[in-house]
Amino acid sequence: MTTVIPFGPQHPVLPEPVSLKLEIDNDVVVGVLPSLGYVHRGLEKFIDTKDFNQTMYICERICGICSGIHGITYSRAVEKLFDIEVPERAQYLRVINSELCRIHSHLLWLGLFADGFGFESLFYECWKYREDVLDVLERFTGNRVIHSMSKVGGASRDLTKEQIDQILKTLDDLEPKVKNIEKVFVNNYTVKKRLVGLGVMSKQLAYEAGTAGPTLRGSGNAIDVRNTSDYDIYKDLGFKTAVAKEGDCYGRTKVRIDEIYEAIKLIRNAISKLPEGEIATRVKGFPTGEAIIRAEQPRGEVVYYVKGNGTKNLERLKVRTPTFANIPSLLLMLPGVKLADVPIVVLTIDPCISCTER
Amino acid sequence: MGMLNLVLGNISRKPATRLYPFEVRAPFKEFKGRIVFNPDNCILCGLCQKKCPPDAITVIKADKTWELNVFRCIMCTECVNGCPKDCISISNERAKTGAKEFIKVAVPIVDKPKAETPKADTTKAPKAAPSK
Repeated sequence: MTTVIPFGPQHPVLPEPVSLKLEIDNDVVVGVLPSLGYVHRGLEKFIDTKDFNQTMYICERICGICSGIHGITYSRAVEKLFDIEVPERAQYLRVINSELCRIHSHLLWLGLFADGFGFESLFYECWKYREDVLDVLERFTGNRVIHSMSKVGGASRDLTKEQIDQILKTLDDLEPKVKNIEKVFVNNYTVKKRLVGLGVMSKQLAYEAGTAGPTLRGSGNAIDVRNTSDYDIYKDLGFKTAVAKEGDCYGRTKVRIDEIYEAIKLIRNAISKLPEGEIATRVKGFPTGEAIIRAEQPRGEVVYYVKGNGTKNLERLKVRTPTFANIPSLLLMLPGVKLADVPIVVLTIDPCISCTER
Repeated sequence: MGMLNLVLGNISRKPATRLYPFEVRAPFKEFKGRIVFNPDNCILCGLCQKKCPPDAITVIKADKTWELNVFRCIMCTECVNGCPKDCISISNERAKTGAKEFIKVAVPIVDKPKAETPKADTTKAPKAAPSK
């Protein structure tokens, strides 16, 4: 006989308001029914009242963790409508901001994940390291979380020599620290006991379910928008897509840790190649036409659709966030998992429900 | 074993946090703390009001006042970059807790309309008041 147990929207382990109705046979999950819609804010409609420059600030507020990348992606989408070329220095600044965002998001997730399986001191450790990255971001953009660094036509903040030195110094300090916690996540006996073989999704299944980001790459698919599309200047910076073959919670954790290293490398490369010059071009007129832009967020691929009608307001803005693509994968991963392990499996897709519901 | 080293190391280290109200970190000089308005050069053009995404700025030409709703301001610096007379700047000091919701500044605008015609009007206006 099966029982239905509600998991969320308020749950001590998961800060995100995702609601799952778990169908349980004894202690094992046999069916899952996710339901969304608890934190819908109507941001896509709200842009009707703001002009296309101001909409960037609304897009940044879609998500509190990857806010910088949301702003950058929106700017790129509108720039595509105007068909303007962004100065090269601005593109490098955007990459540096995006990758710093990725590092702090992954460190935050590693901490939450450690908290999820009950490793409190590891949680504090991860968040302690994240604080250094936030300090760097605060010096670079002027804000800790909502960066407002990008704007339509380029960047609104430049990096000084002093700030660059600060970023490099922080990254040099951060790398050995991440190596330290990597040992715990990858080798610790207790942690491995909790993660290995849990929530397995095969390579083919992850691809067919349309998952994105580390959930997809944790199952062995080397798909990363930064490598597959013409996305800022990522092609010139040369980076390796982090992949793990395992397909379980352990694999997805490894992918995120590897992505921190790749992000550190990318920032170092971008700083070494940072060209001199303007950081923004002037945008004249109002946007017309349609554009679709993809970008890689810490959680996966985000898709922005914008439509302009020749007025200062956009006619339509549509955002498909990575968590929206990843939630269906829970239906594949959760059956067969014990009730006590459900929070861990749900955490490994790094759900961001505020993103998903906008 | 990595974690044991970390835990043992942390015993001898200082805590990562600060005793906040007693020990305050100085804000970074790049930090966007609060908006500072200098009314001397302001021409009441209203561009800052037009550019402000959360509609925090109100420019009332009739009263010659510039008003900022501190609680609505999101520190985006659109007004700072958009001001043609560089009246608005950003300070790295955080707004104090318990600050008032509105900052209202009277703009001493006297020179600007000189180039057009209403110079006579501005001089007349104060004269009219005492006669009453």
